[in-house]
Amino acid sequence: MTDDDMTDDGSVRIVVDGTRCIGAGQCEMLAPDHFRVDDDSALAEFVGQDSLPITEAETLIDRCPSGALSIAPSD
Amino acid sequence: MTDSEKAVAAAPNVTDSDLYVSGIPHGRLAEIRRTPGLAWHPYGDDGFWAVCRHSDVKTVSKNSDTFSSAIGHTNLWDLEADALEARRSLIDTDAPDHTRLRRLIAASFTPKNIKRWEQTVRDITVELLDEFAATGSGDWVDMVAAPLPIKVILNMLGVPLEDADYLVELSNYLVEGTGEQQSIPPDAFGNTTELRLLPFNSPASHALFEYGAKLAEQRRRDPRDDLVTALVQAEDAGDRLGPSEFRNLFHLLVFAGNETTRTALSHGAMALANFSDQWNRVLTNPDLVPSATEEILRWATPVMHMRRTARTATELAGTAIEAGQKVVMWYSSANFDETVFADPHQFDAGRSDNRHFAFGGGGPHFCLGAFLARLEVTVLLEEMIKRRMVLRQDGEPVRAPSNFVHGVLSVQMSTVEVSPQ
Ligand code: HEM
Ligand code: SF4
Repeated sequence: MTDDDMTDDGSVRIVVDGTRCIGAGQCEMLAPDHFRVDDDSALAEFVGQDSLPITEAETLIDRCPSGALSIAPSD
Repeated sequence: MTDSEKAVAAAPNVTDSDLYVSGIPHGRLAEIRRTPGLAWHPYGDDGFWAVCRHSDVKTVSKNSDTFSSAIGHTNLWDLEADALEARRSLIDTDAPDHTRLRRLIAASFTPKNIKRWEQTVRDITVELLDEFAATGSGDWVDMVAAPLPIKVILNMLGVPLEDADYLVELSNYLVEGTGEQQSIPPDAFGNTTELRLLPFNSPASHALFEYGAKLAEQRRRDPRDDLVTALVQAEDAGDRLGPSEFRNLFHLLVFAGNETTRTALSHGAMALANFSDQWNRVLTNPDLVPSATEEILRWATPVMHMRRTARTATELAGTAIEAGQKVVMWYSSANFDETVFADPHQFDAGRSDNRHFAFGGGGPHFCLGAFLARLEVTVLLEEMIKRRMVLRQDGEPVRAPSNFVHGVLSVQMSTVEVSPQ
């Protein structure tokens, strides 16, 4: 990631790669305010309105078993 | 330096089943962890790379393109090609087949969908605990740890109550199939399939397949709110489970969640009895239930290893791995890695940041039933707290002679009176 991905306060948003997510729900367990695993598709979505501190985001990315999470490029 | 010149550390034996009668060989695993690079462990006419450090287990586990689950087998020994094909299930499949299969069933196991079964889990737990408390002492495995998960999964699958005993019996025969001796003849339950083509080489697998197929047929005609219905209806972009996929999956669900959860509930109870200060902490502060649940899973490490096979030549921890070599991840080592867990041989009900690998080291095969298993441990703790139940362990447990499942065959426990708060 580059500095551009971060907001001014160093927080980031996360994207879920739907082709990799296995619906394991680790993200929802660790950050229920930011993730929801859809009950039909078993795909995770980033639902948080707010961005996350970078350290927290990195932990989540690390804990996702399928490698489906990454930092969203900022626009 | 050529490969043959490279000094490779030979691992001390950690596969001898007899070792496990006195517990996980922690000393030997720690020795492998401390040795730089990977250690080669002889096994049969060949051997495997023993991956024991937490960080290396994670690398192998998450790198499923290089470390395949579909080649050979995910257990230590190889299966013949036709046997592997016949027995292949989710667990020994690679992407893209794995992703497709897993996505067909993952929805039933999301945190929210598992939560729907909480009352069922609680009812079953309450009944077993009350019975145990009324008796006052007995074999915890037989009375609580074994029946709890099997009743839960049969309930979820939608197996009618009157068939539950039959399925429990089949499941027990499967457990036998993981050992060396089987008490039933090859043609038991009308089996005509060569045993080596059946999971656990057990004729009980044939019976379980037949039963699953029959139940699936019923649910196709008459859908209910259960897992078998969800599986037969599972559809993703017109894709469905094939008959062989269904029966292997049904089999996997009956088996995968039983031996493992039973083991967690057995080691969990022993830990709560033997580390009474830790159980007291939970009793006085029920907010510790989630961390105690994770610590029980780490402490129990019900599945002690999983194997992968190198698809291509690669390198790990500075050691060269050749294509086709077996690579075995030892969760029983990673979960006690002192570089990750402070004081790993202390049962700490409040352990924070518990990055245990009881459900695997991450990657696409991460345990499908993780939230169900967590729910079962959590509900047991909650109901024990409600009863202010304190356990005492009476004597040594009888451990399973297995290098794969950290099984407890029996352990005597008693309930100790607690003074009301
Ligand atoms: C404490 C209880 C449990 C433990 C310790 C446990 C452990 C594991 C482990 C270590 C794996 C392999 C992970 C890997 O290869 O990376 C696994 C996979 C699996 N588990 Fe569990 N498990 C438990 C309970 C359950 C339950 C309750 C179910 C279902 C009802 C279940 C279903 C499965 C399935 C289907 C797989 C294969 C997943 C795949 O290959 O995609 N497990 N489990
Ligand atoms: S943790 Fe990863 S695999 Fe699991 S639901 Fe979240 S994004 Fe999907």
